[in-house]
Amino acid sequence: MTGELTEAVAAAQAGDEDAFRFLYRNLQPGLLRYLTALVGADAEDVASETWLQISRDLPSFTGGEFRAWTVTIARNRAMDHLRRQRRRPSLPVPVQALSELAGDADTAERAGETIGTESALALIATLPPREAEAVLLRAVIGLDAETAGRVLGKRPGAVRTAAHRGLRRLAAMLERQGSPRSAGGEERAVAPRPRRGRQAPDASRAEPADG
Amino acid sequence: MDFRRSDSADHPAERARSERLLDAARTGASGDVDPLARLLSAAAGPTRPGELAGEDAAVAAFRAARAAGPAAVAPPRRRRGLTTGVVAWIAGVAATATAGVAFAAVTIDRPTGPERPPRPSAPAPTSADDTPDRTGTPTGGTSSGGPSATPGPVPSTAAGSDRPGAPGGPAGTAQLTGLCRGYLAKPAAQREKALRTPAYADLVDAAGGAERVDAYCQGLVPEQSPAAVSPEPSRARPTPEVRPSRNG
Repeated sequence: MTGELTEAVAAAQAGDEDAFRFLYRNLQPGLLRYLTALVGADAEDVASETWLQISRDLPSFTGGEFRAWTVTIARNRAMDHLRRQRRRPSLPVPVQALSELAGDADTAERAGETIGTESALALIATLPPREAEAVLLRAVIGLDAETAGRVLGKRPGAVRTAAHRGLRRLAAMLERQGSPRSAGGEERAVAPRPRRGRQAPDASRAEPADG
Repeated sequence: MDFRRSDSADHPAERARSERLLDAARTGASGDVDPLARLLSAAAGPTRPGELAGEDAAVAAFRAARAAGPAAVAPPRRRRGLTTGVVAWIAGVAATATAGVAFAAVTIDRPTGPERPPRPSAPAPTSADDTPDRTGTPTGGTSSGGPSATPGPVPSTAAGSDRPGAPGGPAGTAQLTGLCRGYLAKPAAQREKALRTPAYADLVDAAGGAERVDAYCQGLVPEQSPAAVSPEPSRARPTPEVRPSRNG
């Protein structure tokens, strides 16, 4: 953890509101991006819950990697959220978010060269959940493999493997985009084909790599 | 899933390359020609408009938590008095009732264990099953009022509904207060929509219906209290960097 963050945590624990703001501004974008991969359009709500809990439990944070602590809270809230959703099927499952993501991914294809944050995240979100989580925790949240492993309840090696596979899948997607459309083997190039016309989230999506 | 064929790509050199790419994502190597590197650094890119929309609500929750749970703020734990032990034990029992045995075991472990190091710099929790619940909830309830200046000795106890095992459990007062503040911090136009989200389900339940939340929150959150107890911001924070800060 950077010294700046450590300082801000201590100040926030002592009640410094500005320090808390600093933490929020630093951590929220990453949390939101990670949560979007987990719960789609409900990410903002889950992020709000996450910050409620961070606020409440901040005094009991006793050191270690604060980023990991917050992202673990976020992940737990996301799991709760998904469980609640299953119990109340009347609530809309983030199908809409998925189609939005799909749109973004297509945009990325058209844009080719320049990949925006939105599109990049959308592509990552098309990975199998455990790979997406590993990639996001490593690249976007900025945890090392050991710390990410603690968040996910996995060994570091498992995180490395998942992230590595995710990257290979992403590379294959990018390659496919870069090459002319006529290149026939497109369908075979990338294993999951989740982007277009996905009508409902598959079950694996609703169960982000929970073990 | 055609990767069995290419499991040679799990070669150590390949994996090392992946690790490097992942590590570099947040350093913003924008001139990178590797599309994968560009994709990762885009994913880790600067804060986008809208991503910080919840800031005021989060700060309101922070204030509420400060107002509600001053006991938890007391950092130095000089020694464990009888009261502390009893409170911790009760918290443990409560946890047992609502959560799994595993969680309870961790909670109960606390008071009987050796004196904990008083402050951070304690060896970081390294066990694989480490969760905020373990470091969080029990401790919040075990602290027996320290040198904190803020009034209102309501500890943020283990009664929060944040354990995965009890997602729909009853929400604690502190949590409801926090939800209320978040709710009241929203523009009037957004409140109704907010109440339909799961984040506020506990609040709606507690108020006895969405249409009663307004009145309920007015009762729960006296208007001037946060300002009265929140300490003055003691020092200015540096402007946050645009990128989520890097893991050191």
